[in-house]
Amino acid sequence: MSEFRRQHPIAAVTQLFVVIRQNIVPFIIFVVLGSRNSGEYFWLIVLLGIIVTFVLGVVGWFRFTFRVREDELQINKGIFVRKKLYLSKDRIQVIDITEGLIQRMFGLVKVEIKTAGGGTEKATISAITRSDAVQLRTLLREKEVQRPAESESLTEISGELENTVVSNESNKIWVLSNRDLFYAALTSGNFGVIASILGALSGQLDQFITEENMDYIFGLLPGFSQLTVILWSILFILLISYLLSFIGVILRYGDFKIEKKEKELQITSGLLERKQLTVPFDRVQAFRFVEGVLRQPFGYGMLYVESAGFEQKENDRSIVVLPFVKRAKLSSFLEEFMDEAPDESTCIVPPKRSLFRYIRQPNYLLLIVIPVLWIFFDWAWMLSALVIPFSLFGWLEYKDAKIEVAENTVLMQFRNLARTTAIVKINRAQVSEISMNPFQRRKHLATVSITAASGAGGKSFTVDDLDANDAERLLKWPIARAS
Amino acid sequence: MNEPELTVQKSLTEPASRINQNAIKAWRLSALLFGSFVYVIPGLLYLIFTLDGDMSMLYPIISAPSAVIIHCFFIFVLPKIRWKRWKYEVDDKGIDMQRGIIITKRTMVPINRIQHVDTRQGPIYRKYGLSSISLSTAATTHEIPALDENTASELREIISDLVRKVKEDV
Repeated sequence: MSEFRRQHPIAAVTQLFVVIRQNIVPFIIFVVLGSRNSGEYFWLIVLLGIIVTFVLGVVGWFRFTFRVREDELQINKGIFVRKKLYLSKDRIQVIDITEGLIQRMFGLVKVEIKTAGGGTEKATISAITRSDAVQLRTLLREKEVQRPAESESLTEISGELENTVVSNESNKIWVLSNRDLFYAALTSGNFGVIASILGALSGQLDQFITEENMDYIFGLLPGFSQLTVILWSILFILLISYLLSFIGVILRYGDFKIEKKEKELQITSGLLERKQLTVPFDRVQAFRFVEGVLRQPFGYGMLYVESAGFEQKENDRSIVVLPFVKRAKLSSFLEEFMDEAPDESTCIVPPKRSLFRYIRQPNYLLLIVIPVLWIFFDWAWMLSALVIPFSLFGWLEYKDAKIEVAENTVLMQFRNLARTTAIVKINRAQVSEISMNPFQRRKHLATVSITAASGAGGKSFTVDDLDANDAERLLKWPIARAS
Repeated sequence: MNEPELTVQKSLTEPASRINQNAIKAWRLSALLFGSFVYVIPGLLYLIFTLDGDMSMLYPIISAPSAVIIHCFFIFVLPKIRWKRWKYEVDDKGIDMQRGIIITKRTMVPINRIQHVDTRQGPIYRKYGLSSISLSTAATTHEIPALDENTASELREIISDLVRKVKEDV
């Protein structure tokens, strides 16, 4: 691999497929619904787009050459702007080998090489044979092991030694069982996202909802009033989004596997597209356990890891480590796979005097929404019955709010709709903050938030209305722990 | 309100240092300049009035003085309160900042989490010999406004020295 070489020719086409896949949904919508003013021009534009993407892909493939030489991965690429990307071995944090859908058809893989740091460089080789990829990985990893001998600082060496001791006893594997996958899909209920997509879609439906069409439908379905049609279509949208969410989870987390390696956790998942993610232990900032509304009653939730550096995109910042796991098993997992031994901890909960604040908080929404709705609908006042579930929800929020402080971690539990339990490693807490509004000040209460780094940004965890003195102790705690 | 736990409440501590008093003058000047947007509304209303005879003269007449009052509030009242509320403290473990007019916020940044320190000075700050310090962590950026130039650059040196001493990874 010391000479410059190209990727497998399939790399030229993968870009085209990616573009097509990203645009398939709007495309279908456009073809099905927007037939009125499309015509020949539309197809011409589509054809032109495909040709241009294809040509760019081929040229991009031709220009893309890479080799490994002298502790460096060297990549030359760029169509208009030539780019030389040289990554030195000891800066490389993560090497991910992924089988995309297209790559899979040709027995190829995609290799992503990531370095850490604010700028976050990522080199992607989008199609090479698996054996080449493995060879590349060993080449890039190779010297790293020998390195401690010639390393500059003593502390680093001792760190390496500790790690090798750990590695001897473990190459543990965790697999998501099919039954758990099924339950995870059943309870995923990722309605929000999908409903919003369908909502955007329904904007296109306007042209169908005309007086005539509606009359026709009402004629077809005796006994249907306008209201029932609306209710049915809402139900229909919910059902569809539930189904899509179900399928989405199955495809995404099918065949899910975690493998614990020397310094990192390797996560492989996906039915159609096998994705591999690497989480180096020394970049883990915090854990986040989210118990969705449908999952919490059964004691299940999803575990994320916040890790620093790699991804700029909001969605990709948190890494799913366990798609579906019992809360009770969480601490044993963290201990086994993440080397997070549970510590003795002191628990801080909001004082009794903040209960009323918790209870009335969700109701503020009603205070705004009901009067506005009342202008349009006579029956809007009936919504005030929602005070009861809303207050109950506030009470739940109060019950769930807690902070546990241990030697090296802080656990923050709070509820938005889903219940979130965040475990922040104390020497990774970036910022701690308390805030008090005048009402809180009167009752000597304060809101605490702790921010951990996540991706190229941060993730804040907030617990409301703690006793102000407790809050202040928590505020100063990361500093007190700082060496 | 007569729970026993209320009796053990201690009042909260506060950071020790204040920012430079010239901050008030600088903020006043910038409020004078940038606060003029409050006149946009009466201006627009007057424009509509002159174009469209239907509208009552009442709106511009009422909104103009209230814009003046709001502007005066921005210029004379707000900077002073803001200065009074801003407190900070730097020691070898971290930076402690407290501010906020209605909602008080207090933020602590451990020293070993700081990635870099800048001082900044705009034209208005320069006129009053002020400078602000901004601290960046891997997740967030914080600013202590309106320190006098010397304190600011001294502080920047101190903080970057401390950071160098305790630096770990991320």
